[in-house]
Amino acid sequence: MDEKEYQKMIKRCLRCSICKWIPQVQIKSQKYATACPAIDLYNYHPYSGGGKIILALALEMGRIKPSEELRDIVYKCTECGNCAIACKFLNTLEPLEIIMRLREKLVEAGCGPMPKQKAYTDAVKNVNNPYSEPHENRMKWLPDDIKIDPNAKLLYYIGCTSSYRRKEMAIAAARIMNAAGVAFRILQDEEYCCGSPILRTGEIHTFQEFLNKNVDIIESKGIETVVFSCAGCYDTFKVDYPLYRDYDFKVCHTVEFFNELLEAGKLKLTKEIPISATYHDPCHLGRNAERYEQWDGEEVKLIPLISINIPPKPKRTGKAGIYDPPRNILKKIPGLKFIEMERIREYAYCCGAGAGVKSAFPEMALNTAKIRIEEAEDTGADVILSACPFCSTNLQDGISESGSKLKYYDISELILMALGLEPEKLKHVLAEVA
Amino acid sequence: MKISELILSQQLAKICGSKKITNNPEILKEYSTDMSFFMGEVPKFVIWPSKTQEILKILKLANQMNFYIIPVSSSSKLKQHGDTVPRKDNCVIINLSKMNKIISLDKKNRVVMIEPGVTFRDLIPKLKQKGLRLLLPLYPTGTKSVLTSALEREPIVIPRYHWDSSDPLLCTEVVFGTGDLFRTGTAAGPGTISQQRKAGQAQLNPMGPTQFSPFRVIQGAQGSLGVVTWATLKLELIPTIQKVFHYQSNNIEELLNFQKQLAKYRLCDETFILNNLNLASLVRNTSEEIENLAKSLLKWNMIFIISGRGDLAEDKLDYLEGDINDLIRESNLVHLEKSDLINSDVILRCVNESTSKPWRTRYKGYYQDLFFLSNFENISNYILMVESNYSEDLGIYIQPINQGTSYHCEFDYFYDPNNDIKLNEIKRKFSEISIDLMDSGAFFNRPYGYWAKEMYSRHIEQTSIALKKIKRIFDPNNVLNPGVLCFDD
Amino acid sequence: MLKKQILEQFQNLVGPENIDDSEVMTNAYAYNWCMELVNCMEEKEPIPFSPIPKAIILPSSVEEVQQIVKLCNKYHIQFKAQSTGLGPWNQPSSENCIILDLRRMNKIVKIDDKNLYAVVEPYVSGAQLQAETMKYDLTVHMPGAGPQVSPLASATSMNGPGFTSPHTGHSARNVLGVEWVLPDGEILRLGSTGLKNHPDWFSGDGPGPSLRGIMRGWAGAKSGIGVFTKVAFKLFPYPCSTKFKLKGISPNYEFEIPDFMKLYVMDCKNYKYLEKVFLAVEEEEISFICSHLSGYGLGAIFSNSIESLMDKIPIASTHAPLVIVIAARTSREFEYKQKVMNKIMAEFKLENIIGTKYTPNSLFYAEALRSNLGLHGFIATGGFQSSKGQCDSAPLCLNTTKMSIPLKKKYIKKGVIANDFGEGVWMTSYESGHYFHVESPTLFDQTTEKSVKGMAENMEENYQFDLIKHLGAPFFVEGDRMHDKFGPHMMDYHKWLRKIKKAFDPNGIADSGFYISAK
Repeated sequence: MDEKEYQKMIKRCLRCSICKWIPQVQIKSQKYATACPAIDLYNYHPYSGGGKIILALALEMGRIKPSEELRDIVYKCTECGNCAIACKFLNTLEPLEIIMRLREKLVEAGCGPMPKQKAYTDAVKNVNNPYSEPHENRMKWLPDDIKIDPNAKLLYYIGCTSSYRRKEMAIAAARIMNAAGVAFRILQDEEYCCGSPILRTGEIHTFQEFLNKNVDIIESKGIETVVFSCAGCYDTFKVDYPLYRDYDFKVCHTVEFFNELLEAGKLKLTKEIPISATYHDPCHLGRNAERYEQWDGEEVKLIPLISINIPPKPKRTGKAGIYDPPRNILKKIPGLKFIEMERIREYAYCCGAGAGVKSAFPEMALNTAKIRIEEAEDTGADVILSACPFCSTNLQDGISESGSKLKYYDISELILMALGLEPEKLKHVLAEVA
Repeated sequence: MKISELILSQQLAKICGSKKITNNPEILKEYSTDMSFFMGEVPKFVIWPSKTQEILKILKLANQMNFYIIPVSSSSKLKQHGDTVPRKDNCVIINLSKMNKIISLDKKNRVVMIEPGVTFRDLIPKLKQKGLRLLLPLYPTGTKSVLTSALEREPIVIPRYHWDSSDPLLCTEVVFGTGDLFRTGTAAGPGTISQQRKAGQAQLNPMGPTQFSPFRVIQGAQGSLGVVTWATLKLELIPTIQKVFHYQSNNIEELLNFQKQLAKYRLCDETFILNNLNLASLVRNTSEEIENLAKSLLKWNMIFIISGRGDLAEDKLDYLEGDINDLIRESNLVHLEKSDLINSDVILRCVNESTSKPWRTRYKGYYQDLFFLSNFENISNYILMVESNYSEDLGIYIQPINQGTSYHCEFDYFYDPNNDIKLNEIKRKFSEISIDLMDSGAFFNRPYGYWAKEMYSRHIEQTSIALKKIKRIFDPNNVLNPGVLCFDD
Repeated sequence: MLKKQILEQFQNLVGPENIDDSEVMTNAYAYNWCMELVNCMEEKEPIPFSPIPKAIILPSSVEEVQQIVKLCNKYHIQFKAQSTGLGPWNQPSSENCIILDLRRMNKIVKIDDKNLYAVVEPYVSGAQLQAETMKYDLTVHMPGAGPQVSPLASATSMNGPGFTSPHTGHSARNVLGVEWVLPDGEILRLGSTGLKNHPDWFSGDGPGPSLRGIMRGWAGAKSGIGVFTKVAFKLFPYPCSTKFKLKGISPNYEFEIPDFMKLYVMDCKNYKYLEKVFLAVEEEEISFICSHLSGYGLGAIFSNSIESLMDKIPIASTHAPLVIVIAARTSREFEYKQKVMNKIMAEFKLENIIGTKYTPNSLFYAEALRSNLGLHGFIATGGFQSSKGQCDSAPLCLNTTKMSIPLKKKYIKKGVIANDFGEGVWMTSYESGHYFHVESPTLFDQTTEKSVKGMAENMEENYQFDLIKHLGAPFFVEGDRMHDKFGPHMMDYHKWLRKIKKAFDPNGIADSGFYISAK
């Protein structure tokens, strides 16, 4: 969002509170009607999407100044974008983009990000990952028996979280590709953070450095397709990178890729997995994984005071999210009973981990996860699945904190089991990771 | 006559003319009692004003000369409930029966504007001529004031037209206890009534003006806050066909459940449940006829009526009847007994017309009606309570109201007034059971006579405090019907 | 900000996390939709901020509300309560005011399917409640402001017409039991709710006079006479099957239209004819929705963006359109209702535009059922407010519409409000045509002083017009200035209202910016 648009939009919030709810026509119960973890947990209006637009206006008008208090509110947001989906059902505002821009402004004013987020972004700058892990350990997740083809045109981009924290996801993804006979390569020590944590906490300049570094490396290797098992990296590459720089490779998420392999018969799920499962749409893989469409139209005054965009300006409403591939996969797993939660697809409730919340406000992240876990439990499912390492960590934290009997798996782990590929080994790996 | 009374009489005569005032002891005595158990004082005068201006002057005079005013709307001797029986000895009755004009009748907007003296007997046929009908209480007495019935929130028999508890009352013109004239709802203006009408307004919206709705406090106030000089009432179009259904059962729960479904889906117009004695009293004239019919009826009887209008009237009836039959099957109510013991025309008369003799008096000549509001669940329990206290010659009437959100529960104690022993027993039991019911959650929302004190003591204190504040605003000198409700100071 | 010692007392009541008097928080709560217009009309700077509240407090129970109000009385601090908080009426009128944000009071106390009512706290939204009542085949009346707002606020404190008013009435008339914290901190419970033994919610009137009469009136007291913490109101039969299936992604959902639901749009060409048709339809008691909108308004309810208005030319060019939605539970009912509509169309020689000249997206039907149509007034995300707001007969509403056209055109010509040919109104029937409501939604640019000032002038001139032409009191007769303007022409009602204010709020603690002060 450019400054002109920002200045225009922040004056137009209707304070209608639509942003606090999932699209009105999708509300199925009182319990699961809300959209925004921040307002759900902190109650005061400024925590909502619309509330943050008001803060942006108040800041521009000089009614409030950059302050720790303002910063805390602005950063207590997972940037899940559910507010934007709700707002754009009828309105034209972009609360998520306004929040991102507001964070940039706070960083510029020396008032952001949160100290703990700063530590993460410093670590990215220093050791290429937010966890302050040595860069040389990045590929330590890789078991010896995984086949890598250093000349493959397909790159598996593992991401910091799967490399250091959610190794089971990386292992599963790699094994599945092996099982399907897909040749893939990895960047080894040339893989760096995608820049998402820096972008989402407002440090836009550092983000661009990483973006350029990553695109340069990938393009230099003649790679045609990049597969991500991390929804965050995927979203950042797919949606955010093109805002700054075009690139000439294709990106896809493992759920899309594996779904294609299943459709093509290259993977066959034969082992019965007699569970009932529900699926959590990661924000980065779902509503936010929609590219900005180039719009070269013009704003035409239709009648005094009413302007229209000709041609209509595309609204990002989550329509290009990756919703069906994971569901298709689950439907192909023998014995698995799939049950939907109430808040799904473009209006799925966030797990609570995103946009630096897990680091700066762990309690908020945990409490959000607990809400989502309860929603999953209410379906009667035994298992909650997702396809994002952040969601994985946070939802599993939510499960243990709330004492839930739910089990969490990444979809790739379940595919692995359904392939009958040494599930006990997988269990072993899981124990090792734990 | 004391000097002060003489002066008062002269002053009142000056306002209305000497022919419109009386202190004839016989007439005064009529106003000192009614059919209820409530005993009161003899008023000083009865006065029959014929114009709003006269009422304004009387009220102003009452404030100056410290006498009390009790508004009475009809000349009928069949008054009930004790609300117009003087509680103080310095009372003047203003009898509004001479103010009996139907001021306007507006078919397009389905509304009538009437003065307080207009009776059911007067109004129903006039409306019928225009293809309109009132929202009636069950077979109202012809001499009763239509406006009073609405002001007293008497239950109407069509719950689906009972959109608000205040229906059919809409706008009012009222003289407050202060002697100030006011108009409520959209009738307040801007502009006079004729200016409003010129703009197209029809005094339909009872709410307001703006941020308060004074008509709601005037309603149910038993004449203690203001004297209503006209009101608009909501009307409906007369159906072309009405079809009566009479279902019986010995188990009221079955009927209540069925009725609930009908109310929920708005499938019928009139619907009510009566016990055998009350249904017989409603549709027969003599004690003997009543007893005979009551014997041949099952204990509980539900009447409901469906209707259609115009060219598609039959089509409407077909759809309603078809849907109702489905409902009966789906709700497993198949063992309900459909009855044709009573001619439909007789039942239709009870819901479309007024009666010259109150139907509750037909069996024994006299009755006391005990009534309150209940939720759905408690109705049976309340019936058990009353029946265990007194079951002989007891009529029971259950009326869903306000879109089926509550129920008017009425127990009619029929008796012969000349039988003193019986009378004393009924008096005692009536009083005892009223208290027991109140203690069990029965909501006496129209607390007449002796009930008032008991009811307010069982309601949170803030209610009386708030009502007294209202009283001090609209009738600061307590000139209007003193002593009713919680206005005992 | 609050004095430390006072802040501590509030903190002790609700916990420190539930009161905030910081600059950031209080400024954020000073903002609201149309506040720039209100400021302009009060000859203040046309910015969208009200006076800054002293603090924001989030009570969780009636007891906490009561204690807060008592502390306010003790320290002579005013309060303003808000539920979902849409609109300038939620704003304080002075800086000596705290805002009670009732967000934490969000329970559906009960849905009583036997007695056909629901009891809710302030922060239950209409859509939440409806989702739950649908499980019982029941629906809830929702105001035009949309399903995201508080039905409690609409029932107790705001005006309450909605698109489904022919079927679900008006918020104020649906009220049963009420729990109400008076401005002096005492708790009033209306009707059967106030019984000491076995209180229940089924009635809000009496014993004796109904205190609902001082609770709200037509327009609602907007927190000027206390805080409503629970209310019971009627539920109505859901008009068709409650099966509610949507496919696709927001906002382009595809809705599986229920079997027995049909939309009619008829162009009545002129207001006189519209009146006849409107009344004829409503006398038949068949509609779930029965509204007149201007051609543009009509286009808007079928559009999810201002751009998509463009393909609605066949309907936007209608002159006096009437929109009717019929819905039924059974095929018999549906057939009958269709027969009635056919008869009316034949009698008045009208045709249904729907299915002939225009076919809306299926989502329209979902929004109709879920009371989302009013929100289409916001598709321009511009300034939007209604003048008028009369409620009485159909002739009055249509006269009002007709007479206001030249007035509106004057401001259109000035370029300060959007051009709807002066015809932009929404008119609905209530209770199968027993009353009608009309308002004149007007679009302006809330970000330019010229437009805001022009809109304010337009509103003022409309008020004056309503007054001299005896068109009834519009929506927004609230606040001392407006009451003093209208009162003398309306039986001096303002004097009585002031007495009520004085009697129930002796210390003037409930903010009266949108009510009346005792003076």
